[in-house]
Amino acid sequence: MKAVGFAWRSLVRQPARTTLGVLGVAAVGALLFDMLLLSHGLIVSMGDLLNRRSYDVRVTSTAALPRSGPLVRQAAATTGAIERLPEVRAALAIRFADARFDGRDNLPLAATFEGITGTAEPPWSVRRGRDPHGMDEVVVSESAAQALAVDVGSTLPLSVRCRVADEALPPLPVRVTGVADLTFELSGEITIGGPLAVLEQACGGTDQDEADMILVVSAGDPRRTAAAIRSARPDLQAVTNQEMLVRIQDTGFTYFRQISSVLTTVTVTFSALLITVLLTVSVNQRLGEIAALRALGFSRGRMIADVLVESSLIVGLGAVLSLPLGWALALGLDDILRRMPGLPAQLHFFVYQADALLLHLALMAATALLAALYPMRIVATLPIAATLRAEVIG
Amino acid sequence: MRVRWPILLTVLLVSIAPANAQSSTDILISRQLADAEHLQLGVTIKLATAADGSDAREFRIAGIYEPTPDPQRLGQVPREVRLHLPDLLALTRPRDVLAGAEPIEGINVRLKNAADARDFAKAVQAAMPGVLAMPAAESTPAGPFKVLEQFHLAIATVTILAATVFLLALTIMLVDERRETVGVLRLIGLPVRRILTQILLEGLLVATVGAIVGLVLALLSEQLINRFFQWRYDTALVFVRVSPQVAAMCVSIAVPLGATAIVCASWALLRRSGLRLVRR
Repeated sequence: MKAVGFAWRSLVRQPARTTLGVLGVAAVGALLFDMLLLSHGLIVSMGDLLNRRSYDVRVTSTAALPRSGPLVRQAAATTGAIERLPEVRAALAIRFADARFDGRDNLPLAATFEGITGTAEPPWSVRRGRDPHGMDEVVVSESAAQALAVDVGSTLPLSVRCRVADEALPPLPVRVTGVADLTFELSGEITIGGPLAVLEQACGGTDQDEADMILVVSAGDPRRTAAAIRSARPDLQAVTNQEMLVRIQDTGFTYFRQISSVLTTVTVTFSALLITVLLTVSVNQRLGEIAALRALGFSRGRMIADVLVESSLIVGLGAVLSLPLGWALALGLDDILRRMPGLPAQLHFFVYQADALLLHLALMAATALLAALYPMRIVATLPIAATLRAEVIG
Repeated sequence: MRVRWPILLTVLLVSIAPANAQSSTDILISRQLADAEHLQLGVTIKLATAADGSDAREFRIAGIYEPTPDPQRLGQVPREVRLHLPDLLALTRPRDVLAGAEPIEGINVRLKNAADARDFAKAVQAAMPGVLAMPAAESTPAGPFKVLEQFHLAIATVTILAATVFLLALTIMLVDERRETVGVLRLIGLPVRRILTQILLEGLLVATVGAIVGLVLALLSEQLINRFFQWRYDTALVFVRVSPQVAAMCVSIAVPLGATAIVCASWALLRRSGLRLVRR
């Protein structure tokens, strides 16, 4: 009988412990799979988000992440100057301004207004209705439409936080021309988008010519475009999507990468330790049987292979089960983490990556081998005659 | 009461001026900034908002502070300066904005009676259209901490489930090893209830010892993990804290779980006859 068949029969002979062992590995494996998805999921998702639109260079006033640093002054002129560079196909300045509306029971409802100016495509996709063109037209996100109880054709009283203390300005009535998916909307945020001119109108015609960032569509290589912008405007920071991703990787999301590393280590160790205990106890209970088989002519290598295959079968079956289990768990955990405020609404924490799957399988294989080491040593060093004698006397 | 966020701004450090060169106002700087720029208490520095250092003003470092740890800014070294609000407004005011017309992020109000917060917010709201006023308890989203707590709870649940399954497998094997002992006890007349009580007590003892060892390990790793991550991120943030509540919760889960697993695993064995157990 081959080692696989023999190990399989050994496991089937003790269905309760085998089932529990496999289920335990499946649960731990699911957690391990999720942690591997989490370790790079955010970066993959953020990369996908950055590349979702045609913008491939982002211009800001400092190295701070957009929406957290100082504004780019003279946004319209700067955007125009950037657009005129031969390496640039189109550019778009975007300004995030605090807005507020009256919610239920007249309680204030905080929102964000995304004002844009430039020639590149707007940072939203219209679901229904059309893009805003006039000085009193806006699009709203689905969450804004629900929170403000508006739809295409409705009119909204827009109040925004202006650059100077003119907060008591009357609200500007704006018309909703469309409901859209806004690329930069944060989770839990109510977002309205429209031309930057709408913001100036809402601020009583005062100068609001500032931008949080300028999004650029390159005519060719984004790195050359970024270099050209930096050369033309050394006071500004121009980075490609890839560079932005590296910056985000360095400064943000580190907590999740660290917790993922810690939990990956813990789950692998936990899993290896428990399988080792399971196999060791199982081998200790079968010492007489193993000695008898050795006496019958089974080689030492063959008996070691049996233990290794047994470990592999438990871990292998658990690993296979852990994949659908882990995916289901990842959906639940992703749902929890996406409630975190201040992150893009379309960002995901758990994203499928082939590399994560391969690493998961490799770690599970290593766990099977690691867990089998000690029981294999017991089998390898088992004194046949003494064990048989002890078994008979016992 | 609180209206949005407190003022906190990082401004550009231009150069270090000789101390006592001229009268200057006091500022506080973060420990990280002090370390990065080798700044000390009492030194006078120049700050400006423009990269070329134009319109710089002099300030004296009156204190070095440890920034309040913020999990959302983990990984970012907080090189911060804290100024008196009038100094900050004077430094950052655009040329076309009159003094006194600058917007600020928010005003924190401490009421004589905290219970009046909601009524006070409504009164401010009514008296000052355009100002967003709300009780502090409602203005700060529980956000990141609440979400992280739920995330950790979900992971802990999965870990407990996995541990329970393994525990059951292990106890089944351990109980199986004692099959003959239990059989002999049955044959000499001990009732099932008596043996089960003994097993339960053993289980409780083992689970309690296990829980205590687990807590000791957690306390040891608490120091290790905190020191590592505080060093890694240069922060005073406490990452792991084994509080009495957490310890009590762990023990209250682990001990009954361990004892129940042993009793459940033993139950199937005890239903068999003594002769079958001793394989006669």
